[in-house]
Amino acid sequence: MNQWLDERLHISRLNDKFLRKAFPVHHSFFLGEITLFSLIILILTGILLALSYEPSNSMVVNSFDPGTSDAPNLIPAAYHSTLKINAAPFGDMLRRIHHWTANIMVAASVIHMMRIYFTGAFKKPREINWWIGMLLLIFAALTAVTGYVLPYDNYAYNTLKVIYSIAASIPWVGEWVAQAAFAGKFPGDGVIPRVYGYHIMLLPGILLALTAAHMLIMIKQKHTQPQYAKRIAYKKIVGVPLMTQQTPIMLMLALLFAGIIVLFSAFIPVHPVEYFGPPTTTPIENIKPDWYLLWVFGVLAIIPGFEFNFLGGNINSEFVGAILLPTLTLGLMFAVPMLDRSRENLYYAENPTNHPVRLGLGVAFMMLLAVWSVAGYKPELISAGILTTENANTVLWIATFLVPALSYFFVQAVVRGIRALREADERDRTIHAAHADD
Amino acid sequence: MTRYKRQDPEITRRKFINVAMGTTAAVGGVSLLSTLGAANPVFRLTADKMPPLEGDILVHAEASKEGRPITIDDLSTQLVRAWPMGKDENGADVIRKGDPNNILALYRFPKGQLVAPTNLEATIDGEVVAYSDICTHAGCSVSDSDINAGQMRCPCHSGEYDPKRGAVVTGGPPPKPLAQLPIRRDGDRLVVTGFFLTPPYPYHNNEAEWNNLKREVEEALT
Ligand code: FES
Repeated sequence: MNQWLDERLHISRLNDKFLRKAFPVHHSFFLGEITLFSLIILILTGILLALSYEPSNSMVVNSFDPGTSDAPNLIPAAYHSTLKINAAPFGDMLRRIHHWTANIMVAASVIHMMRIYFTGAFKKPREINWWIGMLLLIFAALTAVTGYVLPYDNYAYNTLKVIYSIAASIPWVGEWVAQAAFAGKFPGDGVIPRVYGYHIMLLPGILLALTAAHMLIMIKQKHTQPQYAKRIAYKKIVGVPLMTQQTPIMLMLALLFAGIIVLFSAFIPVHPVEYFGPPTTTPIENIKPDWYLLWVFGVLAIIPGFEFNFLGGNINSEFVGAILLPTLTLGLMFAVPMLDRSRENLYYAENPTNHPVRLGLGVAFMMLLAVWSVAGYKPELISAGILTTENANTVLWIATFLVPALSYFFVQAVVRGIRALREADERDRTIHAAHADD
Repeated sequence: MTRYKRQDPEITRRKFINVAMGTTAAVGGVSLLSTLGAANPVFRLTADKMPPLEGDILVHAEASKEGRPITIDDLSTQLVRAWPMGKDENGADVIRKGDPNNILALYRFPKGQLVAPTNLEATIDGEVVAYSDICTHAGCSVSDSDINAGQMRCPCHSGEYDPKRGAVVTGGPPPKPLAQLPIRRDGDRLVVTGFFLTPPYPYHNNEAEWNNLKREVEEALT
């Protein structure tokens, strides 16, 4: 059959070009793969969920609790269908798997990104893939957020409201943008079909296209080589070919990963729609976004309220906190490859401790996001008595500057220590070598 | 035979094609962009989406007694949420909850506790006061604070308001106080006597648009 196919499709060329791509063997090189597996699981479970989900926010009678004929119990169709999915065999499990995988996908891509950053793999010639990776991260987060809205319970409703008002806070065009994005004034009659369209068509399409580009470029440019490759065969690609050695490793990893996700989903429930109930105006205490957006939420929580008029546009704290600052933060991440001026093509993954400034800045940046994420817990910190309403903002703002700065210097100190040890080792070795010569 | 050099045309072919293609792409792109406008549906101001207006009765918003008129005895220093209820074109009762920003917060304080900048004229005997319950920060629905007794607190980013002093902001990110709604007493019921005194969320920073809305409402009613 191989020959039959080959005569028609020239499979062997594909084989030479792609299937023999060498994969470095090192545990930190599996994070990207995990992200890819997550995407596949998400698409599969997503298709199954879409088969029973009803994308509509018009009101229907709750078949689980119909009320009386003159006072029927009306709930949005989307929420109703979510209840039905939960009641179906394995329906709740499906939702959990979808939800957990989404979380893990973002986590894996963030750690993957750290690996790229700390080993300098973003350097020339791989800048383009860093940028595509950034876009992937952003669109993955957007997909996750739109997915949050779909169950259309009280939590989703209140989240959507916040998202809408963030969009509407853009000066000059905000109101129009928010209405165009969410099908009219909140809550528009078509808001759920709209978000559904984003979540299952537009955003996954973008994600798939970007993923394809990401991987083709990676195959074309090859991975950075781990350090051990330098010792084995200098300037040669070291690794196992995709077909067939890498494939079983990947398969095992994929299955193990799927197993872990199912295990997670079996024991840890997610987003209990029954508990939150249908949309109401009664707010949900301490509503919070997922962990990867908590930092934006934290900024919003500690930014003092203000607004001023600028050339007829209204600039308020919400716009600055939820759009401007995050855009700057992401912009900084986009700019990372441009901060490096080396003209040489990078071949080997670098040892982070050989680049203490980059390492320190990276850690400081992560600490900054961590501080902001903690700030997202401001109400809890206050009610736990750790902070008071009066000093919370001040303390958190000081931490915003202090913690990253301290962690930068801490990293420098640690790096210096590591280097001193390494040099001592080096010296020892030469002395011993010298002795051996005697 | 003379060899003559052909005069350069004014623009080269390459340039012409580039310009032509560029123009086509630009015009085509812009025209396609205009279809984005279709994403923004037309807004129709129906009775259930109108802001609270003169003559509306305040009814309970809590699910278990939704639609029941609120009496003064239902109120206390604890927040009670209310919807304005008016009439539609056919004169039937309609709860104006088509716009979730119409949700109201009602309080009743012992005489003398409500002070400026609350507009006391717009309260009932300086005791019962009605505010928009929508936080001016990002539009969450504000509740009673469980941390600072007597204050209102927004669950979204911990904005705080003082309901006894015109709902001024006492903490957190909200830029403006909650808008106060003028009310009076009619027998047992609470009746709205006019529009919000200041533009409520989401018009709190856009007076002109709030005035537009008021005009639209008035036109729709006549
Ligand atoms: S929405 Fe109320 S504080 Fe942000």
